[in-house]
Amino acid sequence: MAMTQVEKDLVQEQAADTSYDVYEIFVQASDLDPHVHVGSVLAPSPEWALQLARENFLRRAEAVNVWAVRREDVHATPADPDWFAREFDRKYRDVSGYADNARRWKRFKAQAMNIDDVIADVRKE
Amino acid sequence: MPEARMEAFMARIQRGEKVEAHDWMPEDYRLLLLRLIHMHAVSEIMGAYPEKEWVPKAPTLRRKMSLMAKVQDEIGHGQLLLRVAEDLAAPLGRNRIELMDDVITGRIKFHNVFHMEAPTWADAGIIGWLVDGAAIITQTALLDCSYAPYARVLKRICAEESFHMQHGESIILSLAEGESWQREMLQDALNRWWEAIMFFFGPPIVTDAARRMMEYRIRSRTNEELRQKFLTRYVPRIRSIGLEIPDSAIRFDEDAGLWRYTEPDWERWSRVVRDNTGPKSQERVALRRMAHQDQAWVREALVRARTAAAI
Ligand SMILES: [Fe+2]
Ligand SMILES: [Fe+2]
Repeated sequence: MAMTQVEKDLVQEQAADTSYDVYEIFVQASDLDPHVHVGSVLAPSPEWALQLARENFLRRAEAVNVWAVRREDVHATPADPDWFAREFDRKYRDVSGYADNARRWKRFKAQAMNIDDVIADVRKE
Repeated sequence: MPEARMEAFMARIQRGEKVEAHDWMPEDYRLLLLRLIHMHAVSEIMGAYPEKEWVPKAPTLRRKMSLMAKVQDEIGHGQLLLRVAEDLAAPLGRNRIELMDDVITGRIKFHNVFHMEAPTWADAGIIGWLVDGAAIITQTALLDCSYAPYARVLKRICAEESFHMQHGESIILSLAEGESWQREMLQDALNRWWEAIMFFFGPPIVTDAARRMMEYRIRSRTNEELRQKFLTRYVPRIRSIGLEIPDSAIRFDEDAGLWRYTEPDWERWSRVVRDNTGPKSQERVALRRMAHQDQAWVREALVRARTAAAI
């Protein structure tokens, strides 16, 4: 089957080096938040990657900053689950490892504390 | 050895693990996903066409703005999905340009509902309410997809679809609360769209491809299960605003726990999708081609600017 002009144009453009780069997009929702990965865009330059990121990811969400990072420049851990293996119980690092404190304070007729109470108290005028 | 790899892959899927773009995956899995996501992406973009026609004609400024926002969302969904599709297509040597060109050359299909006319404002309302409603059901059913990049994008899409849902309801509620000619217009639009919406979910038979997609946990519900969910949600609401469903056979069969309905003309609608022979198919593909051609110089300029900057 003979190619139409439209098809010829398409083939010609496909053959030309018009391939863009993939940029991974990280959005910072507020000054007190870290940049969070939200997805990626295909763009011819970092400036365009940022423009497209705004169009794609910030139509509603508010943000104070956006990073566009070329995918090739992202270094990721291997897909190996062993890389994240936990050798032993790490409860001693977590609040959950100290659940008995509340009961023990009760014996002394006092209350256990938690960080949220402290923050709220310090903020209070 | 290849069989051991396949077994390990299926075991991962069975355990409910997610697959990432750079993980090894069976060719069959890649191709099924690519076809699904490619069509999904293209349908988002082609789905914006019938709605964008109504932006300049919408009855109030607020409606214009909300419709414009929805059109932007749909194009945005298309762009997010294309990113997922092109990462799947890259090992096959195919890129974004080719995936989009497939629309113009007719190598990729888009959903039947986007081949249709939207002659009145009520059609715009029915699209927002019922076409998006149907699409929301099929998309939420894919949220647990075993392919993580697709599932992540769907999460974002569904969040935005919740606005589309309210937007559609708001339009049809205004018409339903309106004068008799507005309710008639709404009924006419429903009559035009009903069969297309029934077809949208696909045939009740579980095709071989659909069965494989369920084994791979790409999807977990059959076409018929989704159509039934749609009917359960929407039939009572359609009736509650005084509209009549244009199918005398529709009823809930208590014994079977299923909705009975007249099957859409599978043959005719399949031809519309396969051959682009719906009332608006050619016009919309032509619009897509025009947009593509008119912007060729922009794409070229962007690439030249990059090359110039690199020197
Ligand atoms: Fe959408
Ligand atoms: Fe939508």
